[in-house]
Amino acid sequence: MAGNFWQSSHHQQWILDKTDLIRDRQHDLNILSDEEYQKIFNFFASIIQVLGEQLKLRQQVIATATVYFKRFYARNSLKCIDPLLLAPTCVFLASKVEEFGVISNSRLITTCQTVIKNKFGYAYGQQEFPYRTNHILECEFYLLENLDCCLIVYQPYRPLLLFVQDIGQDDQLLTYAWRIVNDSLRTDVSLIYPPYQIAIAALHIACVMLGKENQKSWFAELNVDMDKIQEIVRSIINLYEMWKSYDEKKEIQGLLAKMPKPKPAPQR
Amino acid sequence: MGDNFQNNKTMAPVMMDYDFKVKTQNERSKVEDLFDFEGCKVGRGTYGHVYKARRKDGSDTKDYALKQIEGTGLSMSACREIALLRELKHPNVINLIRVFLSHTDRKVWLLFDYAEHDLWHIIKFHRAAKANKKSVMVPKGMVKSLLYQILDGIHYLHSNWVLHRDLKPANILVMGEGPERGRVKIADMGFARLFNAPLKPLADLDPVVVTFWYRAPELLLGARHYTKAIDIWAIGCIFAELLTSEPIFHCRQEDIKTSNPYHHDQLDRIFNVMGFPQEKDWEDIRKMPEHATLVKDFKRSNYQNCSLSKYMDRHKIKPDSKAFSLLQRLLLMDPNKRITSEQAMQDPYFTEDPPTTPDVFAGCPIPYPKREFLTDDDQEDKSDSKARQNQQQQQPNTQQNQVQANSHDHGANNAKRMRMAGPNQGNNNTGGGQQDFHPQQQMMFGSQQQGGTSQQQGNFQQRFQ
Repeated sequence: MAGNFWQSSHHQQWILDKTDLIRDRQHDLNILSDEEYQKIFNFFASIIQVLGEQLKLRQQVIATATVYFKRFYARNSLKCIDPLLLAPTCVFLASKVEEFGVISNSRLITTCQTVIKNKFGYAYGQQEFPYRTNHILECEFYLLENLDCCLIVYQPYRPLLLFVQDIGQDDQLLTYAWRIVNDSLRTDVSLIYPPYQIAIAALHIACVMLGKENQKSWFAELNVDMDKIQEIVRSIINLYEMWKSYDEKKEIQGLLAKMPKPKPAPQR
Repeated sequence: MGDNFQNNKTMAPVMMDYDFKVKTQNERSKVEDLFDFEGCKVGRGTYGHVYKARRKDGSDTKDYALKQIEGTGLSMSACREIALLRELKHPNVINLIRVFLSHTDRKVWLLFDYAEHDLWHIIKFHRAAKANKKSVMVPKGMVKSLLYQILDGIHYLHSNWVLHRDLKPANILVMGEGPERGRVKIADMGFARLFNAPLKPLADLDPVVVTFWYRAPELLLGARHYTKAIDIWAIGCIFAELLTSEPIFHCRQEDIKTSNPYHHDQLDRIFNVMGFPQEKDWEDIRKMPEHATLVKDFKRSNYQNCSLSKYMDRHKIKPDSKAFSLLQRLLLMDPNKRITSEQAMQDPYFTEDPPTTPDVFAGCPIPYPKREFLTDDDQEDKSDSKARQNQQQQQPNTQQNQVQANSHDHGANNAKRMRMAGPNQGNNNTGGGQQDFHPQQQMMFGSQQQGGTSQQQGNFQQRFQ
C-alpha cells in the first residue's frame, strides 16, 4: 500500500486532532499528570522496542506495533486493558500484518518472560510476566476491533529515505534522522501528523544537531506547512528535555503503581 | 475462551477491565444476529466457507457474501486479507464491507457484496455446452470486457504495490443482476502481499502458492521473489482459457503438497504449448535456481514443433488476430519482457470492434445459472485441504458430462450439490438443477451462423457453438 497514503485508513481515520486526543484522555489525566502519562508511554514503547529486537523484527514492524499501542489508548483508558498485555499483543499482530512470518506462541511468551525479567526488572522486580498465549489471543481480538481493522500504518522511514536521497545522500544525516524518527514513537506525533511531516521534522532536528546549516534552502523550497513541522519538532525536543531530568529506573515503579488498572467483575 | 482470564486462579493481574469488556460486548454485533445465511453455503475451499446472506432487519434486500475464514483466530493470511482489503477500493476489486469477530468460537467473518458468477463456473458452463454441441449466447465483446476489467483491477493492485499471486478463474468474480451487473471483481486476496519492501524473501513464507496451471515458468524454475509479471502470466492463462474454454497449461497434478517449486510435468506442459524457450528469448533463464535440473530433464528437440500460435490456431484463434497478439505479449516466457497491466490495457485489441462494456454481458440475458447451495455430508472429514484444492482444480476436466449428470458429483468429492431455496431466495425459477445447465439454444444475434466467415474468430459466440 505504499502508493497511496492519502486514500488510506491511516490518513482518513487515524490522523487525530490534538484537542480531541487530550479530551479523550481526561479519565487518565485525572489520575496522572500529562508528564506522568508520557513517561508511562515512553516505558511501554521501550518494552515494545526491546521485545521487537529480541524477536529480530525490523524497525518498521516495531514502529507499527507501537502505533497500534498508541491508537488503542487514544480511544481507551489505560485501565481498559493492562498495557503489559497489550504491548506484546501489538507486536504479535504487527508481525503478521507486516509479513515478518509467524512468531510461534511459545516463542512470544518466552521472549516476554525473558525480556521482563532481564531488561525490565527495575520496573517489575521479582514479578514474572503474568500472561499466557490465550490472554494474548483474546486481547488481539479486542485490539483489532478497537483499531477498526485499520492495520496498514504508514511510517516516516520511507519518506525519510527519499528526502535524504533528494538532499544528496548523507549517511550521517540519515542515521541521525532515522534515530529521531524512532524516538518520535515515544511522543504523540504519530497520532497527529502524517508520516512525511514527521520525516521532515526529524531531518530538521538532525540538520540542527549536525550543524548542517547549508540545508536551509532545501527546507525553504519544500511545499509543506512549516508550522506543523515546528509543532512536531517541539514535541520531539520536549521528549529530549524530559529525558534529561528523568531517571526511569527510579521513578517507573511509582508510576506503574499509580497507573489506572483494570477492575475485575464485581464479587457476588 | 471468553472468560478464562477471570477464572484464572493464579496471581495474574486482571488483564481487562470488567466494565470495558461488558461495554464492548454490548456494542459488538454478532454476524448471526444481523444476517440470515443458514443452509446457504455457496463455496468451500482452503480459505474457509462462503455463504450467501441477507440482512435480517430487511433494511436492504441485497445479497451479501459472508466468508468464514478457515481455522480460528487471526492467521497471517487472515491478517493480510483484512489489512489489505481495508485499504483497497476499486470497482474491479472485491469490496470488504465489514469484519465480524466471534469471540466465543474465535471465528473471523468477512462481509462482501455478493457476486453471482465467477470465471471458473462460467468456463465450466461453456465446456459443458461444447461437449453437448450446444451453443451459449453471449455478447461478442464479453471476453474482451472481462479481460479489460481484470487488467484494470490488477493495474490498481499493482500500482498500490499489492501482488495478487493466486490469480485463477475461480478468483475472478462477476456480478449478477443488480446495480453492478456484469462487473468483474478480483477476489481471494488471502495470499496477496505488499511487495515493494519484502521483509523476507517471499518464497520463504509459503512455498506453494499459485495453482500450478497458472504458475509462471520462472516460479516453476525456482524464482525466489514474486513479481507483477507473475500475475500477468496468470492473466494470460485466464485469457487463453476464456478464448478456448480449455485451461491452456492443463496438467495432471498428484503431488500438490511438494514444497519444491520445480515441477517437471507443469514445465513440460508449458513447453508443449509454447515451445522450448530460445536463449535469445529468455537470457536470464540460466540464472534460475533450477536451471541445471531443467537442462538435465528436458530436450529442446522434443518441442521443435510446438508454438503458441499453433496451439491457439488449433483452437480457432488465428495468429493474425489482435486477441492472439495480445495473448502472446502476456504469455512471454521471459518475465522481464512480459508486458505490464498498463501496457496491456493500451493494446489495439481493446480499440478494435466490438468495444468493451462496463457490463460484460452488455445488457443481454445472463445465460449462466446462479450459484448452488452446498451441503457437506461429512463435515468431519479430515481429508487434506490441499487434496481438496487439487480436486477442485481438476474439476473442469471431469465435468464435461455435467449437463446430464449435474447432481452426481464425482467420486471423492464430498460436497454434494443440490438446489435448495434459501430462506430469502425470491424466485427460484427452475425446478431442478438440470434445466439450469441447459445452454440457451436460440441465437441472440440472429445473423451469425455457425462457422461463419466473421473476422471475430476469437470470440465466445463462435467458440461455443
